[in-house]
Amino acid sequence: MSPDILLTGVGTVGAWGAGSDRLAQALAAGTALASEVDRAAGYHRPEGARLACLTPPGQLGEWLSPAESRRMSPPSKLAVAAARMAMRCAGLPGRDEAGTATVVATAFGPSTNTEGLLKQILNEGPEAASPSLFTESVANAPAAQIAIACKATGPSLTVCQREAGPLLALGSAAAELAAGRARRALAGSVDEMTPLLHALLDRFGALARGSSAGEEAARPFDRRRNGFLAGEGAGLVVLETAEGLRERGGRALARVLAWGSAFDPTAAVTNWGTGHQSLARHLLRTLGRAGLAPADVDLIVSGASGSREGDRLEARVLRAAWGDAPLPPVTAPKGVTGEYGGGLLGAAVLAAAGSPCGPTAGFAEPDPELGIVPHDGSGLPPPATVLVTSLAAGGAAAWVVLGRP
Amino acid sequence: MVSGEAAGTGRPVAVSGFGAVCGLGWGVAPLWEALRAGRGAIGPFRRFDHTEHRTHLAAEAGEPPADFLRAFPERKRLSIADRFALFAAREAMAQAGLPAPLDGETEAGVWFGSSTGGMFESEEFFREFLRDRRRARISVLAAQQVNAPGDAVARHLGVTGPVRTLSSACASGALALGAALDAVRSGEVEVAVAGGADSLCQLTYAGFNALRSVDETPCRPFRACRAGMSFGEGAAVLVLEPLERVLARGGRPLAILAGAGASCDAHHMTAPDPSGTGAAAALEAALRDAGLPAEAIGFVNVHGTGTPLNDAAEFQALRRVFGERAVEIPLVATKALVGHLLGSSGALEAVVTILCLMYGELHPVPGGAAPDPELPVALVQEEPRPLDGAPAAVSTSLAFGGSNAALVFSRWVDRAA
Repeated sequence: MSPDILLTGVGTVGAWGAGSDRLAQALAAGTALASEVDRAAGYHRPEGARLACLTPPGQLGEWLSPAESRRMSPPSKLAVAAARMAMRCAGLPGRDEAGTATVVATAFGPSTNTEGLLKQILNEGPEAASPSLFTESVANAPAAQIAIACKATGPSLTVCQREAGPLLALGSAAAELAAGRARRALAGSVDEMTPLLHALLDRFGALARGSSAGEEAARPFDRRRNGFLAGEGAGLVVLETAEGLRERGGRALARVLAWGSAFDPTAAVTNWGTGHQSLARHLLRTLGRAGLAPADVDLIVSGASGSREGDRLEARVLRAAWGDAPLPPVTAPKGVTGEYGGGLLGAAVLAAAGSPCGPTAGFAEPDPELGIVPHDGSGLPPPATVLVTSLAAGGAAAWVVLGRP
Repeated sequence: MVSGEAAGTGRPVAVSGFGAVCGLGWGVAPLWEALRAGRGAIGPFRRFDHTEHRTHLAAEAGEPPADFLRAFPERKRLSIADRFALFAAREAMAQAGLPAPLDGETEAGVWFGSSTGGMFESEEFFREFLRDRRRARISVLAAQQVNAPGDAVARHLGVTGPVRTLSSACASGALALGAALDAVRSGEVEVAVAGGADSLCQLTYAGFNALRSVDETPCRPFRACRAGMSFGEGAAVLVLEPLERVLARGGRPLAILAGAGASCDAHHMTAPDPSGTGAAAALEAALRDAGLPAEAIGFVNVHGTGTPLNDAAEFQALRRVFGERAVEIPLVATKALVGHLLGSSGALEAVVTILCLMYGELHPVPGGAAPDPELPVALVQEEPRPLDGAPAAVSTSLAFGGSNAALVFSRWVDRAA
C-alpha cells in the first residue's frame, strides 16, 4: 500500500519577491507583477513584447552566502534559495538531508550561462570557453546545487517538459516516496527569463502583446487573450511520508492525493493540439487514482496563461472531463506570476493550504468558445480537494490533486 | 514453463525491443558487430569545425540510411538528435513486433534522457542571430528544447500516455529507463518506450575541453595513462513491457530489466565523491530493487569515462558493493569504443549490456595500455570474453552534478525451449 504523502514546506521566489507570504499577497491582490525587460542588447523587435514577471534584485541575500552567489548560475541561486525557504517552512534545518530526493523541473535551464558560453565560443573561439560558466550551464545544475546545499543524497532528477514540468516534478518526487526510495523529497521548478529568451519567445509569437484591445497583459480565459507574460523564479516544496512526519513531529500544509500525466500527439512542437478528449480521459484517471470524481473537486488551479491555443485546449479538456456538470471555481495564477518559474506550484500549494484566491489577473471578457469564467476573487470556503493542471506546448500535460492534510 | 531470471521486485518487466544509433552505425547489428571486434568509432569528425578546439576526436554517427527520413513529413524541422531518437525508436518497435505508430488502444508512454537536445541546431541559429537578427530563422530553434527528441518519438508513435524527458547530464538515459520501469511495474502503461538521444555540439565539446576533461587520443578507461573522455553521439531506445504481455502476444523477451537505483553524491558540481559512496548507493539500490545480491552479478558495464577522477571514484564504488570481487568481476567499458553519448549514454550502454547477456559474450576494448596499479580491475580487453559468470549485469551512469543511476538486467531464459 502506498504511503500517505504530505506537503510540509513551500518556498518561492519570483516577481512577488522572496517568500510564499509575498506570493500569497500578490495572488490575493490579483494584479500582474510585470516589469520592463532590458532590451538594450537589441534582441527584440521594435514592436515586440516589453514586459515580463521578473524577480526584483536583492531578494536572495538572506538565503545564499556570498560564495554561493558568486559561483552559481541565476537559476541555481533561485532554486537553492527557494529550497532553503521550503525547508525552513517545514521546520527542517536543511543541512543534512541524507537520502532525500531532489526533483527539479526547468523549461530552459541556465540561460544566462548558456548564452554567455555560446558567445565566448562563437565570438572569441572555443578556447575562450569558461569552465565555470560551463559547469553551471547544464540543465541539472539547480538540482545538483540544491543537493549539495542540503546534502541531499537521494535520487536527483531534472525534468524538462516545458510548462508541464513543475507538476511532473511534483509527481515524480511523490513517486520516489511512494516507492520507498526516499522518505523526503525537495521538488519544484525554476527558470530565469533572460532578455534573449524573452525576445525569442516573442519571435515565436508566444508572448502577450499590446493591442487595440488593451495593454500588454496575460489574460487567462479572456476573449482578448493573445499570449502569456513570461515569468521567472523558483518554487520548491518539501514532501514527506506521513510516517516520516509523525516521527519528527512536524505539521503538514497539504496532502498529495494523486498525480498523472499524458501527451497529446496532435500538438506541433511549439503549439498545443486538439486531443482534448484523450487528455480528459487521463485527467479523469488521475482523479480516479485518489478515488475521486470531478464532482469532488472544490477548486481548479489552472495552468492557463493567456495563450490563445493553450487556454482553448485547457478549457476543452476541463469541459470534456466535467461533461454537463458545472465546473468548480477555476483560478489561473499565471495572470499574476507569469509563465515559467515557480508561480503555479506555489499558488497551488497556497490554495490547498487555504490561502485566499484573488481574482484572475487580466480577465475581464469571457470567451464564449471556452465557457469558463475564472474565479472573481470573492470569498471561497477552504477547498478540500484542489486539482492543479498544466498543459505544455508540444503536447505534454500534467495534473496533481492536493487535499487537506 | 517460461520464467525470467532474477525478475526483480514487483511484476517482471521485459525488454522486448531495442534500437540504437552511434558512431558504429545506425542500428543494433552494426553496433554489436563492431563491439565484438573491439573496433572503435572515435576519430576525426565533421559535425562542426573543430579546428580551434583543444582536441579533435569524436565518435560521430554517419549519415542515416537513405530512405529513413522519408517516413517523416516534418523531417526538415527535425534536429540531428531527433533523427537519432526516431531511428532508434522505430528499430526498437519493429524488433518488439509493435506497430509504429501504436494502435490507439495501447496504454503507452515515453521516458527519455537528453543532455542538450537540439543544441547543435541552436548554435547554428545563435551564430546567425548574432550576425543578423532578421535573417536568423526562428523555426530552426523549435527543435532546440531538451525534451524535443522524446517528444518527437511520442508524436511519431501516437503516444497518449505519460511523456517525460529527464536531463540529469550523463545519467539521463539510465534515469529515464528507471522511471519507465516504475511505470510498467505499476501498471501505469503497458508499453514504455525509453531511452535517450544527444548529438555532438560545440557547447559541450568546448565546455569539457575547458575543464581539461577530454583526452587527445581515444579515451582509455581505467588505464594508467587515461587522460579524459571522448565524445560520441547517438541514441538508444528500449521497449519495456510486462513479461506476461510479451509472452501472451508471442513475443520474445531480449532480457529482463530487473532493477533500477539512483542517488546523488551531493558533493561537487563536476568532481565525483572520491569515496564512491554515492555511486555505490545507486548500485546497491538497483540490486535491492532487483532482489539480487551482489554475487548474482556476472559483469558490470561501467560508466568508465576515462577521466582520472571518475574512474577512481567508480572503482571505490565497485569495492564498496562487490568487496574483494571488485578486482575480479569483468568490466565492460563501452565508451572506449563509442565515446560518451552524454544524456543517451546510459540507454546505449543498457542496449550493450543486454547484447552481452544475450550472446553470452563481453565485448573488449583495445588493449595495449598499461593498467593503473591503483585500479586493479578486470577490464575486458583485446578479445571478447565469454560470460561464464552469473547471467545478470549492472550498468552504471555517474553524472555531472553528482547524479548517479544504475540498472540491473538479467538474461531471459526460455525454459520451454
